[in-house]
Amino acid sequence: MSSDTDTVPTPAPPTRRRRVDLGTFGLVGPPVVWLVVFFVVPVIIAGAFSVGILAFFQDEAAFSLDGWIDFLDGSAYLHLFWKSARMSLIVSVIAVLLAYPVAYFMALCAPKRKYVLLLMIIAPFFVSYFLRLLAMKVILGDQGVINSLAYWLGLRDPDDPIPALIYSQPAVIITLVFVYVPLVALPIFVVLENLDRRLLEAATDLGASRLTAFRAVTLPLSLPGVLAGFIFVFVPTLGEYFTPLLVGGTGGFMFGNSIADLYGPSLDWQTGSVLSIFLLAVIALLMVLFGLAGRFLAFRSAPTG
Amino acid sequence: MTGSKPQPSWESAINRRRFVELGMLAAGTTFLAACGGSSSGGATGASGTIADEPGNLSVLEWAGYEYPAYGGKTATGVLQGYVDSYQAPKYTFLTSDDQALAKVRAGFKPDIVHPCVSYVQDWVDLDAIQPWDTALLKNFGDLNPSLVKGGQVDGKQYFIPADWGFSSPLYRSDKVEPDGEESWNLFYDKRYKGKISWWDSPVENFLIYGYTQGFDPYDFANWTDTQLTDATKFLIEKKKLVRNFWSSGTDFDADVANGNVWVGYAWGGSYTAAKAKGLEVVYSEPKEGRLSWNCGFVLAKETKNYHHAHAYVDDWIGAASAAWIIPNYAYGHSNTAVALGGVDPALVSAFHLDDPTALEEPKAHIERYVPDRRRFAKAWDEVKAA
Repeated sequence: MSSDTDTVPTPAPPTRRRRVDLGTFGLVGPPVVWLVVFFVVPVIIAGAFSVGILAFFQDEAAFSLDGWIDFLDGSAYLHLFWKSARMSLIVSVIAVLLAYPVAYFMALCAPKRKYVLLLMIIAPFFVSYFLRLLAMKVILGDQGVINSLAYWLGLRDPDDPIPALIYSQPAVIITLVFVYVPLVALPIFVVLENLDRRLLEAATDLGASRLTAFRAVTLPLSLPGVLAGFIFVFVPTLGEYFTPLLVGGTGGFMFGNSIADLYGPSLDWQTGSVLSIFLLAVIALLMVLFGLAGRFLAFRSAPTG
Repeated sequence: MTGSKPQPSWESAINRRRFVELGMLAAGTTFLAACGGSSSGGATGASGTIADEPGNLSVLEWAGYEYPAYGGKTATGVLQGYVDSYQAPKYTFLTSDDQALAKVRAGFKPDIVHPCVSYVQDWVDLDAIQPWDTALLKNFGDLNPSLVKGGQVDGKQYFIPADWGFSSPLYRSDKVEPDGEESWNLFYDKRYKGKISWWDSPVENFLIYGYTQGFDPYDFANWTDTQLTDATKFLIEKKKLVRNFWSSGTDFDADVANGNVWVGYAWGGSYTAAKAKGLEVVYSEPKEGRLSWNCGFVLAKETKNYHHAHAYVDDWIGAASAAWIIPNYAYGHSNTAVALGGVDPALVSAFHLDDPTALEEPKAHIERYVPDRRRFAKAWDEVKAA
């Protein structure tokens, strides 16, 4: 903000009170208004539904904490939340493990083709999410690419396709990993790209093997990127709705699907709001924890001489 | 102003505190606007004539029923007659009953909606609809009496039945051999583990359970807490046999066509779609009776096109409309005066289109209002989450 006064040779008054000037308002205002109208207000409305102040049939409205009590008192929905959290965790860990080598290769081993590879990583985003999911159905189906190959190689009988490849929990995990790997690779790539190469040279000079150098230098310094990538997967998949709907079958049902059901066919907006607010609160809490962890990692990996 | 930069005088007024206040104000206004949606004024429009009305009829409709897709441009008397006399209605589309209810609750104001009969009570509860004046409907007398009766709430005709169809097990006859008499029990047959598809809907799977257990699930007194718990446990146990719960008819059709499922809950359209692909399928007639659905029209309480709405629906329930929908969509129609001469006999026999009693108990169980839908919905979510 004050950069223009810095470059002008005349010195600024030493004790200038900082005010929210027009520039700040212009820059921050629209997103704040946007956020208030389309995020804060809906959350307040959902909160009002969750305690019965608002109701789908307005004459049923009456303050009540029953929705919350039913939910927290060992309901099937709470159980489902833990199941979904476990699935998200599995997806996030696999995605990080798969994305790390890709990011590492792009950042450190392929200097010439780096941006071509980057484009290839981003390429799936040129296709809509829905189409990518439909493509996964074609790949994973009983007459799909993988099963057809298995039949052709004689590994399986056409009347006995590989079970759980589609319409199952593993199918949801496979599909989510496929969708999110590029999103994880990008932050890791950025961190590795900015890695101070001299540290690696120093490690080699001091006699460290490549593995030791990776373990002692590259990996710790890339952890903030890993954490960011992890968050990019974990947070959105926790409320995932579409993927389980399309490839989930009877075992892949997730928390987000419950919310959709409650607002939809069940017309139970109260319980739906309870679940939504709970999910939001958990994600907010996780973001705080991840933020603290990120600060800790950044602090640890800062060059302290 | 202490800084060297000249600034507009009003700008200093917008400091952070004022900004937050403005934000709160904006939030509060939106909040109030969102909550104040349900006004409960009296019904409008019965007085006056059709010439006094604006005529810009707005219809919340299922895709495929809009002019000119429905009836075709050339078919005489389906919707063309209405459009020629007045003007083409404006269509907005719904994909499910609950979505239509939510849309109207949020403030959308169509003149006519095309829900299914089991949700009519919800529309009344939402205070969004008014009864029809059946004297204004020339074709009303030709409608199937049992469907007409189903459309009444507190003795008033809130719903004009239009289209109907069955819901029944569909199976691939080249892969599946029912065990004895045809029955809904095919859904629980462990020989077809992993090849069965149920409909993802909060109530129907409990209805099917009730019929296979030999009690009337539409008698809601039968659904004690113990009964519902037993049903939930049963469905969780049988879920192991099920490949998926379908939520879109076209997805189900694709699964049948490519062999992912062999047995499933199906509407009539899935049967004709599978037949058209040359698959060997049977549209079962379970000994417990088929389920069936019936949709039709409700009239918005605050419509400004009262007489236009009646004229439009009158065309919709006419014999010409029935003569078009039956062969083209393989649905039933509430008009019983229709001639079925030109309809494929296989279609007529598969859906009993020539039998006016086909929808009566115990051969078929037509959908109706479920008083405590949320209780079933929670139990169904429990099945899905298990």
